[in-house]
Amino acid sequence: MKRWEKGPEMPGRAIERWRGLAIRTVLLGGLLALVGCARLPYTVQTVHQDQRVVVAIQREVTSAGYSHPVQLSPQDLVAILGSFSFRPQQRLPLRWFAEETPPKKIFRQDELEALAPFLAEALQKVGPEERVHFQVLAPGMNPAYEHDTNGGWIAVRDPYFHLTLEHFHAQFPVRKDEMWDLRYPAIPPEPGAFLLYFEPNRFWITDPAVDERGVLYRDFLKSVVLPVRKQGSP
Amino acid sequence: MKKAAPVGRNIQNGPSLLSRFLTLVALLALAGSMDALAVESGRLIEKDGKYVFVENQDPALRLLLERAVDKGFISREEYEQALKASEEYRYQTQLPFKMWYDRGFNFSMNDNAFFLKVRGRFQNRLTTRWRNDAWRNPGDAKNFPELLGVFGDYRANRSVGNSTQFNLRRARLLFTGHLFNPDFKYFLQLGMESSENAQTPGSVNLLDYYLTSTHFPLLNAQLGQYKVYFNRSQINNTASMQFAERALVQDVFTANGLNRRDIGLTIMNDEEVYPINYYFGIFDGGGPLFTDYGSYESEEPAEGCPGGQTSGNPFPSPATGCAGNQRNINANARFNSISQLMYTARVMWNVMGRPGYGEGDLAYSETPQWSVAGNIAYNPQINTSSNNAFVGIDLANLNWRRQLATFGNGRQLGWGFVDYTTWGVDSVLKYRGFSLQGEYYFKNINRHNKGLPCLQTVGTGGPCTTFAPNQFGNSTGWYVQSGYYLIPRHLELAARYAYWDPDTHAASDLVKEVDLSLNWFPFGTYDYQVMITYSNIAMGTGGYAIGRSSPLPSTGGSQSTVPCPPTFPSGCVPLDAKGGTLIDNVLRFQVQVFF
Repeated sequence: MKRWEKGPEMPGRAIERWRGLAIRTVLLGGLLALVGCARLPYTVQTVHQDQRVVVAIQREVTSAGYSHPVQLSPQDLVAILGSFSFRPQQRLPLRWFAEETPPKKIFRQDELEALAPFLAEALQKVGPEERVHFQVLAPGMNPAYEHDTNGGWIAVRDPYFHLTLEHFHAQFPVRKDEMWDLRYPAIPPEPGAFLLYFEPNRFWITDPAVDERGVLYRDFLKSVVLPVRKQGSP
Repeated sequence: MKKAAPVGRNIQNGPSLLSRFLTLVALLALAGSMDALAVESGRLIEKDGKYVFVENQDPALRLLLERAVDKGFISREEYEQALKASEEYRYQTQLPFKMWYDRGFNFSMNDNAFFLKVRGRFQNRLTTRWRNDAWRNPGDAKNFPELLGVFGDYRANRSVGNSTQFNLRRARLLFTGHLFNPDFKYFLQLGMESSENAQTPGSVNLLDYYLTSTHFPLLNAQLGQYKVYFNRSQINNTASMQFAERALVQDVFTANGLNRRDIGLTIMNDEEVYPINYYFGIFDGGGPLFTDYGSYESEEPAEGCPGGQTSGNPFPSPATGCAGNQRNINANARFNSISQLMYTARVMWNVMGRPGYGEGDLAYSETPQWSVAGNIAYNPQINTSSNNAFVGIDLANLNWRRQLATFGNGRQLGWGFVDYTTWGVDSVLKYRGFSLQGEYYFKNINRHNKGLPCLQTVGTGGPCTTFAPNQFGNSTGWYVQSGYYLIPRHLELAARYAYWDPDTHAASDLVKEVDLSLNWFPFGTYDYQVMITYSNIAMGTGGYAIGRSSPLPSTGGSQSTVPCPPTFPSGCVPLDAKGGTLIDNVLRFQVQVFF
């Protein structure tokens, strides 16, 4: 006879067993929450927030060993970030056919000029186990419902400058619930996967500490001629 | 004279001069803005699934013009004029609307005076269930959650062994958006699914159709048919649950006791703005697409004589002098029940953050999100089917009877008119992928006929000899559920325990449920999900239900007589005579695509 066919004498024990399991599950979950074991980087300070730019300091959940704080001017950051381009990283098997797509610039000039001062300020405040997260906002496809968002984070582990792009013109809901259904949660889109490129490529070197590419930013800044807008140019 | 004339005209047409001046200023401002547009403006368009910023100016034209300026072929003024003319041309010739896909098909007029979002929700599941022997006999004689029979007469629901079935559990089509401006919203949802135990195939049903005004954050208003803002588990969208199915107890304590949806008006404030939220509602109280006009009592041709039976005097016979009747010669009498409305109230305090109604912490809250709430509803004049005729024969109020059964109140059938006063408290906590949520419910059931229902008489129309064993009691229940994201935003493990006492006057009728669920959200949103939910449900078969439990209705005779005497029109063996506990083990594998 199968367990579920035992008849009326079974339910009491079954209920007790499952109730015990449920209680233990709840207690275990509560314990995990009490311990507060963050598993994703979390915001510890918002450096700046307006309708155009959000810059925050996030604490890493694993040891990062960054060389923070760092002194970089807004012009330096404009030069560095303006040299990045990207290509969306496709999943297999689409990845085999996606290489024809040319890389695109991450930031427009106006976005860089809006963002860089606050990034520079944040880099002076950030600690060695923290990173600087940013979002550049614009009206979304429907401005009443969504923000158009370019987002990511930067960090410096000398001599490397690291940039991670999480969102490129992603549509973020402006509220926690959908505007069209007040009962349905509006969840921001997940960070995407992007392949980053940096020009000149000779400064785009693998950081052995994390086995990821970073910019040899000091060398780059020595070589770069900061753009000067010509007067009267159209 | 030639000079005077225009001066005179100017003097005579003073307002015209002013308007021309204003027009000139406006044109200058426009020219200035267009100049800026020529350099910076653009718009986002979707191309190949990505949003790209496209400048309003054709890059090729801009390049050519810039080269022309550099080479001196055109002046700077000509360059500016060409750019403005080009942009104006593009603006005038562009389509007055835009369309794109983002969590649904979106259509918007360029001035955002009209917006339409069309979404579809597909939720398919494979359900395997194992039931114990008690499901074969007695089965569920308390009519939860289904009322079997073509005419809604009361039968037990019995089944054997195990079964495996695919079920299109939710097939929805949504048309949402706004009119005039984003603060005047509309919402239309069609449901085309059928429940797991549906007796008839699903058809297209209008689930929600309402208008919402959010012009005043303190005084939002919603009018139409929708889910009543009452208890947490029902307010939440079924697309954002932690389990494939709600717990049974969550369906029982809806505001109207009949359905989670109703037709009416809700006034509330903006949850996003205020930490304390209120929802005050007034509804028909009869469920979706239905009004109290659909509720009636059977009456003989003689006024005041209850009808509804095949022959003989009404049973039990409260009225003397009423003639024996024919079942099909009856009137459907609508009394004061049609003037009664349902009132609801809910108050919620977002103590920390704003957890919202979606279950589980999918968003991975960086700070604790905690809210507590209380709610109360008063729904008078629920017609559980009159107790003035043989139970199961009076064909009145089939829709209400089925709704009562579907939402867990089938054992209240046959008690005449009742008033529901339902209240509850709930709380939810979310933090870093962990969630804990619970609700407590209580339903006070006030029966209009205060005496015990008469079930057996001495002969037709004779004095009553046997009554129902006791009055139907109140109802109470609670649940607690918790979840934890093993992989933030992607993989959740959740557990739930639910308890329900459907009749506080009855013994051995408790309904207990345990659920475990493993949920995978491949894209980190509720829209796409795969769930495996295991449920163990134990339902006591105790308690009393008119027409199904002992004593059964009769007009004379003895229940112990063998064979069953003809005075028992519905038979003399109670459906729940064997007793026992119904055990249901259910495994649901569910896929949802909300596109």
